[in-house]
Amino acid sequence: MMIILLVLIVFGCVGVGTLRFVLGPSDADRIVALDILFSSAVALCTFAALSTQRVLFLDIAIGVALISFVATLAWSRLLEMRNSHKEEI
Amino acid sequence: MTTVGTLFIVLGVLVLLLASSGLFVLKDALSRQHAATKAGSLGIVMIVSGAALIGGNWSWVWRAMVIVILVWCTMPVASHMLARAAIRESRSKDEVSDTEL
Repeated sequence: MMIILLVLIVFGCVGVGTLRFVLGPSDADRIVALDILFSSAVALCTFAALSTQRVLFLDIAIGVALISFVATLAWSRLLEMRNSHKEEI
Repeated sequence: MTTVGTLFIVLGVLVLLLASSGLFVLKDALSRQHAATKAGSLGIVMIVSGAALIGGNWSWVWRAMVIVILVWCTMPVASHMLARAAIRESRSKDEVSDTEL
């Protein structure tokens, strides 16, 4: 019963991150919101593992953490290259 | 063991909530990144280690240790790149506003 409350709090984090992802004035804000969304995804995978008592969901959490790293790196690199290209022009 | 794990999970969820509230309290992309990545990594580590304490099995523990090591190795690199992109973007926006003025 307690895990439902925790899942609802993490859903609140997902809502805040989605709102910042949609509203974000600059593109760097959107990448920060993406980072929060991936952290919430890892937390939700852990809660799934706890509520079903299956350790398989922790493997999914490992995969989500790896995808989070690669996605943040690629998007911030793209942003940096775009702005440096703009400075050259 | 279950009590300590539940306490860890509750604290981790509160830290994650604090990190996501920083997205709206702070005003700049750089300071939002400061709140989000730092507190997010602490929250994930506390949630996962609490799950390992509740699970109690060795298969839970080594997967949780893999996640903790992965997060602690990759999150500073990602936040560094993110901060550099945010600084670069704010600087280019300032230059655009200067030329428009």
